[in-house]
Amino acid sequence: MKKALSLILALTMVLSLLTACGGKKKEAPEVNLPKIDEIDLGTDYQDITATIKVLTNRTDIIDTVYARYAEEFHQLYPNITVVYEGITDYEESLNLRLPNGDWGDICFIPTTVAKSAMGDYFAVLGDMDTLDQRYQFIPDKSFDGKVYGIANGGNVEGVAYNKAVFEAAGYTSDQDKLDADPSLKPLPATPEAFLQCLQDIKDKTDAIPLYTNFAAKWPMGAWDAYIAVAALGDPDFRNYKIVHTANPFSKRSDGNGPYAVYNILYESVARGLVEKDPMSSDWEGCKGMINRGEIGCMVLGSWAVQQFREAGDRPEDVAYMPFPITVTNSEGTRVTAAGGNYSYAINKMADENQQLASMVYLKWLLEESTIFQDENCIPALKSAPMPDFLDDFAGIELLSNAAAPEGKEDEFDKVNLLSEVGINNDDYPDCTIVEHAILKDKTIDEIMDEWNQKWTSAQEELEMEILF
Amino acid sequence: MKTTPGTAAVQEPKAGGLRGFFDNGKRQRILVIVTFMILPMILLFMFTYLPFFKMIQFSFYDRNYLSEGTFVGLKNYINVFKRDDCFKTLWVSVFYMGGAVVQLALALFFASLMVFKVKGSNLYKACLFFPYLICGIAVGFIFKFFYAHGYVLDNILMALGVAEENIPLWLQNTKINNICLAATSVWRYTGQNMVMFMGAMMSVDNSLYEACALDGANNWQKFRYIILPSIKTIIVLNLILSISGSLCAFEPPYVITNGTMGTGTYFVIMNRIAHENQKVGLACAMAIVLLAIIILCTVGQKLFFKYAFKASDDGSDPKPRLRNERYAAKKAAGKAGA
Repeated sequence: MKKALSLILALTMVLSLLTACGGKKKEAPEVNLPKIDEIDLGTDYQDITATIKVLTNRTDIIDTVYARYAEEFHQLYPNITVVYEGITDYEESLNLRLPNGDWGDICFIPTTVAKSAMGDYFAVLGDMDTLDQRYQFIPDKSFDGKVYGIANGGNVEGVAYNKAVFEAAGYTSDQDKLDADPSLKPLPATPEAFLQCLQDIKDKTDAIPLYTNFAAKWPMGAWDAYIAVAALGDPDFRNYKIVHTANPFSKRSDGNGPYAVYNILYESVARGLVEKDPMSSDWEGCKGMINRGEIGCMVLGSWAVQQFREAGDRPEDVAYMPFPITVTNSEGTRVTAAGGNYSYAINKMADENQQLASMVYLKWLLEESTIFQDENCIPALKSAPMPDFLDDFAGIELLSNAAAPEGKEDEFDKVNLLSEVGINNDDYPDCTIVEHAILKDKTIDEIMDEWNQKWTSAQEELEMEILF
Repeated sequence: MKTTPGTAAVQEPKAGGLRGFFDNGKRQRILVIVTFMILPMILLFMFTYLPFFKMIQFSFYDRNYLSEGTFVGLKNYINVFKRDDCFKTLWVSVFYMGGAVVQLALALFFASLMVFKVKGSNLYKACLFFPYLICGIAVGFIFKFFYAHGYVLDNILMALGVAEENIPLWLQNTKINNICLAATSVWRYTGQNMVMFMGAMMSVDNSLYEACALDGANNWQKFRYIILPSIKTIIVLNLILSISGSLCAFEPPYVITNGTMGTGTYFVIMNRIAHENQKVGLACAMAIVLLAIIILCTVGQKLFFKYAFKASDDGSDPKPRLRNERYAAKKAAGKAGA
């Protein structure tokens, strides 16, 4: 009998193992959530007891800065405990963890989640029209009039530069100095002026005019952020119009647009205005170099400014300027691009209690914590003061990409992925611009023609109408 | 589950229920085999075969990680052959194959040196084997700085008196960058191959060495006529492993150059298609095409060695056959004499 029992035991164990593996997708619980703007911090929901888990890619500060936020919040809501989990390969892991619904309570929405799919994973935080009044960058993570994510602050898309190097080459943003010394020029605001400025840095100083950070790969992908608002002044281009534009990467008669952005990259490499061997550039090292004045500028979002300032003894030399393409809005004001960071979202598969606690913490984090002063970025609240590095942006309107019209939210993702042009998701196509500029085996026109062809065939396959 | 003992009892009422059913020796053997095998088989199935079959299934779909996708038949496979970036990368693998040959030659050389008593051979062994213990990503970072302009390699060359302008940009120059990357995998795997060779060499019967020493053979002759024939199987095995390994080269180009400047191997491209561009179906199809290529290469190599070394590779152990031949020859000679 013993044998039979052990056999049965073994088989049951095996079967339960199999059933555990073949588990069905978790159903979202029925919950009654408030809208995030309706919560009164400090008074509402004091009775909720919960432990919430926040997933983040910032493994460097979870034990210090983030732990401090959790502690501060715990003082306000003693029944809610916040735990952070840092994930090194954030996007990859989240892609795998999101579908089973068991990942935690708050996370950053991975860039690969299509807008139309946000409702499958995340709870609704409120209505787009009302939240748009209160927070920055709301259209980014809204679908069908509902908001699923709120950006963890935001950044301006400009150029980080070293003031001392620029002044040595004859460029400054300081009006008093410009008035006093006629040989000085204002900061470059067109592609030609920018390339000339890089040439002047090369001729007049020992600094590397433009540091590409090619070896790290992602700084190449960063150039994609400039092709829409910064290069065209059109908030609808990036998420909607580009999908319906014939050959969006072609050279334009006004000298603006995506072509102009990529041409700056190509020309600066081809003319030798970058580091000698881009293949051995070093991201960690470059922070100190721009601080010490060994690098003239780097084309990166404003989030980098804080890191560059902290990397050496001369934080006051690190400044930030608008991307050197001048585009204006209908009133004639110069505009440039700003955009949200990763957006926080709440797990809709979690229990109601968890979701409520998450929403309270999220609101506190966005509105009352010091997170945006700590990270030195544009705060989530529209009413909060802007950071000081935006001094060179006086008189320039900051615009972010508008959401695509209803029902067309996922068109960009589809065309972008199918064409493999990889705007904002694949850095390799941007890397090829530098490669061809080094090898001089293809002109920028040829590269852009290729991109146009890929884009066009994806548009045809997905039957996108050409409207622009 | 409840029904199993019941039905068994019904089938074998005379033999005393379940116990009698299992008293039969043959059935007992089957029971033992099944109970011992079932867990490993399930693990093997779940973690090896199931993902593999899933991959084959995905390769017929147009899907990303999060969506279910739509069935597209052979379209993904057609695309693999239509794209110009997939098969171009196989050319890059040729550099790694060249590296594999160099690596085996070096490993064989060092292993033969160590096998003849050398002073401090344990130290050399440890030094040569050490790189294999470092994980591939770390090796990548080591060499990223080793080859970086103005870093380790450039400094060594400059210290040796090479003028700075004569030093190439190791990772940028498309003529040499793939060789540089292949060299990193030679550095990493030589020690491991060497240890495998030494293991094989040590299992050679000592009397053979003594016998040929008595015949006055020098070290080269010992190597040529005793070591080489005895470890031929392991050399062929290592060669096959290294060649299929070079088709799958991933870590050096991924970490050191990100596959830029013409260093992208098949795996790097596949990774980009699957992860950056979310074309999971296409990437699965690429993986299966690569599997087919590897199988072709392995079979090709096997056939090559079979025909190249036909004379001595027929029997698993050449010694008895040789003895038989000699015996037959002697017999024939005896007959002829008589």
